[in-house]
Amino acid sequence: MAMMNLDSILEGRRSQPHMLVEVMLDLQDQEGYLPEEALKTVSKELGVPLIDVYRVAHFYKAFSLKPRGKNVITICTGTACHVRGSDLLVNQVKGQLGIEPGDTTADGQITVECVNCVGACALGPIVVHNESYCKNMTPGKLRKKIDKAAGVKKEKKHA
Amino acid sequence: MPRVSHAKDLEIIRTQVDGKRNRARLEMVIPNGTCCQASGSAALIDAVRAELARQGLLQDVALRVTGCLGFCEQEPVILIEPGNILYCHVAAKDAAEIVSRTAKKGEILEQFLFADSVSGKRIQQESDIPFYKAQTRQLIRMHRFVDPFSIDDYIATGGYKAIAKVLAGVKPEEIIAEVKAAGLRGRGGAGFPTGRKWEEAHEAPGDEKYVICNADEGDPGAYMDRCLLEANPHEVLEGMMIGAYAVGANKGYIYVRREYPLAVKHARIAIGQAREYGLLGDNILGSNFSFDVEVARGGGAFVCGESTALMTSIEGKVGEPRAKDVHTVKEGLWNRPTVLNNVETWANVPSIMMNGAKWFASRGTEKSKGTKILALTGQVKNTGLVEVAMGTPIRTIVYDIGGGPKNGNKIKAVQTGGPSGGCIPERLFDLPVDFDALWDAGSMMGSGGMVVMDDKTCMVDVARYFLKFLQDESCGKCVPCRVGIDRMLEIVTDIAEGHGRPEQIPLLQELAETVAEASLCGLGKSAPNPVLSTLRYFIDEYTAHVHGRQCPAGVCKALITYAIDAEKCTGCGVCLKSCPHDSITGEKKKVHIIDAGLCQKCGICISECKFDAITVK
Amino acid sequence: MLQYVNVMIDGAPVRAEKGTSVLDTAIHYGICIPHLCHIPGIHDMGACRLCIVEEVKNGRSKVTASCTLLVEDGMVIKSNTDKILKMRKNIAELLVAQAPNSKAIQDVAVRCGVKDVRYPFRNENCVLCGRCVRICKERAKANALGFIGRGKDRHVDHPPGRLMDYCKNCNGCIMFCPMSVTPCGGPMKKGQERLCGQCDSQLNADAQKMPGVCVWCELGKGFQCSRYLAV
Repeated sequence: MAMMNLDSILEGRRSQPHMLVEVMLDLQDQEGYLPEEALKTVSKELGVPLIDVYRVAHFYKAFSLKPRGKNVITICTGTACHVRGSDLLVNQVKGQLGIEPGDTTADGQITVECVNCVGACALGPIVVHNESYCKNMTPGKLRKKIDKAAGVKKEKKHA
Repeated sequence: MPRVSHAKDLEIIRTQVDGKRNRARLEMVIPNGTCCQASGSAALIDAVRAELARQGLLQDVALRVTGCLGFCEQEPVILIEPGNILYCHVAAKDAAEIVSRTAKKGEILEQFLFADSVSGKRIQQESDIPFYKAQTRQLIRMHRFVDPFSIDDYIATGGYKAIAKVLAGVKPEEIIAEVKAAGLRGRGGAGFPTGRKWEEAHEAPGDEKYVICNADEGDPGAYMDRCLLEANPHEVLEGMMIGAYAVGANKGYIYVRREYPLAVKHARIAIGQAREYGLLGDNILGSNFSFDVEVARGGGAFVCGESTALMTSIEGKVGEPRAKDVHTVKEGLWNRPTVLNNVETWANVPSIMMNGAKWFASRGTEKSKGTKILALTGQVKNTGLVEVAMGTPIRTIVYDIGGGPKNGNKIKAVQTGGPSGGCIPERLFDLPVDFDALWDAGSMMGSGGMVVMDDKTCMVDVARYFLKFLQDESCGKCVPCRVGIDRMLEIVTDIAEGHGRPEQIPLLQELAETVAEASLCGLGKSAPNPVLSTLRYFIDEYTAHVHGRQCPAGVCKALITYAIDAEKCTGCGVCLKSCPHDSITGEKKKVHIIDAGLCQKCGICISECKFDAITVK
Repeated sequence: MLQYVNVMIDGAPVRAEKGTSVLDTAIHYGICIPHLCHIPGIHDMGACRLCIVEEVKNGRSKVTASCTLLVEDGMVIKSNTDKILKMRKNIAELLVAQAPNSKAIQDVAVRCGVKDVRYPFRNENCVLCGRCVRICKERAKANALGFIGRGKDRHVDHPPGRLMDYCKNCNGCIMFCPMSVTPCGGPMKKGQERLCGQCDSQLNADAQKMPGVCVWCELGKGFQCSRYLAV
């Protein structure tokens, strides 16, 4: 199945080394990550040494070599979001999920990523949940969003 | 037979669109760019469309979904014509009321009008809103007329007339002379004269040449290129066509970063439509000029905004810059002569060809002509895209257009040019927006990001933020950039964490100067700017960190402590619930306490507390 | 037919074949420009930036690496101005602070006039000069090594799986590595790294008095100066 789809991505691009980045972006979008086997095929079909395929995979932020979670929460840490407190959002995630940006929770539900700018700077801080953009985020709003995404209902009681 | 094979075909399409528009009594324009969507514009559009259908107004009222109109803070907005009425902060639930009262009966609904923050007065017309008043909108103004999915809309605004005019008998040399006379300079950062670039590429030997549109826009805090490409992609295409004709290129690329999915989509659709109409392809408009464009996506690397890195990225490789001793206009993409301009530069080209160099050069300063779009963001009331004539003082932009500080704090500086730029202190706000003036002040125009900072922003922290950014984004190829940035960050971190030593400040300065000169590419050469400019204007903040062990702005965590003000705390428990580190304790309705040992100073409690009870010292 | 151009390096008029780099030309004429990542006959990448020079053009000077700068007729190059010497020293200081356990790098640092190191030592094993990567790609045509990652995460690695699936055992990577070919008397233990310059070469001399012309110094043997490699 996955191979079939790889075929359609490679269609019309075989033996064209300059299509490497485009092919890998399509693969990333389709699979959510770059499977090792697929990269070997890409290397062979495009005629690019495997080392160069891996260099590209590690160089661009868009690529991930590990499967990502069902929910991808992307926190924008661009300048405009930074001065409006995107640090707090990162702290919220770290505290709440116990993972660092770039990681996925153990149950595979949530991946948290940081991005340098999504270009909606006037409305910062911005969080992108899967493909929907959320503006003027606060740690509180993010907490609820993550709880919802994780399917957890946690309530801290007064001591 | 292509749909447009002659200039007169454009006229026909234009009349058709105009005819259709004249049949509608009222036009509702709803922008739907990325930023608008973040505010919920998509739901609003669906609601308005459904409501128009329900009330049988589809024939009567034309609904046009466009790209961003610039005033992002107030989104989602609806612009109603005729009347130039702007409704701000409209939600999907308001659709029924707006359609039944404004669209049907022509009433103006007071509650949706823009409220002036000073006088509290409601302002009816868009053009009277202070945010728009001091602007000179040349490019953004067109967005309201164009549905980015419709090539017809663009043609109706006079689009593709410039390329038709050029192909009807303007020589490449004449185009280049016109662009040179206009004084157009690259909007991507360095401000290199566009005409000279074209001239060198035109004169470079070779049959195979390329033009590239740089829509990588990696500068965090700038998004005008995204907005232009999303809202009016055909204008960019037309600019590229004119440039390609002038230098003798037959192939173009639009390099868009993948973080801008909407811009990628719109550019692809626009290219598809232009091909269908015969405006891209062989023998365009019956001439012997052939040209095609492809979209190449960037994979998320700031360094790919650098010209040589961008080109290697299009070639499908790792985006590492190479030495630029031979310019890309001679040896660029695939070692062929290549012209690279950014989105805004290309978008300015069609109007220069239509209206002439004189018209373009009538705005601006002696050496910076035309208008510039700036992304006004940060701690200022009105944020959004601002288009001003070059030479407008920063003060006008921050205070008149931006409306001054957001939270009543004092504005301290404005950061321009992103990670390659610097911070300009408040006392220099009379500086004009001009390539050279900003450069002389130790910053740069960059692509036009303008992040306003107030006295709650620590400049050492700002320098540290940019260094962290650059440490990640440097390709790592050359020593001064990779190791130099790393060491600068080490020093600045020492200072921010309260164990800075006095001798580190001159070392930082010396290292920054070396990195600025010895690095391989533009990223490294401009990387020390945030450090150098903060050292130049805010040295007192550095010394306060080093000698006084304090952070005047209350930002640097190692130098501050959190406490709860017993007078203000109501014991509501919000901070307790929100603290991710369980460092707050207290009983309901009684004063809560922060355990300084557990507190990570993350600031979440401060943003959650409704009573300002948490203090930072 | 070979074409020649006339170039001025440090005031000396020299003739160079078109297409060669300024660094190669300087080495050919015995003008000493310190360098690290350059290997004769291998594609230059301009990574170490030690070989920076000033190119004077129309009264303005531009700092650039001489290994990636190709000679052009009438070119004026200055390799030992105060400004260049200072920057070169700063770069060498950065390098030696990263990897004090290489004699080659220690020697280069002393040659460039580094007297003390103002940054904490890091004791890394690689300075990413890329000699191994380029030898592997260009000479062995094995493509077994490459730079992986970017910025501070950049490192040299092989594709996933076993290195021996790709490696042709030419040993080029080891021979040309400034770390492995000349380990110094150390290795210095963590926390005890220092700038030594103790080796019995002419390097203990004052850098200011160091000759600008090549004297076939010991240093050259140490870090495989192209002068030796070219012979």
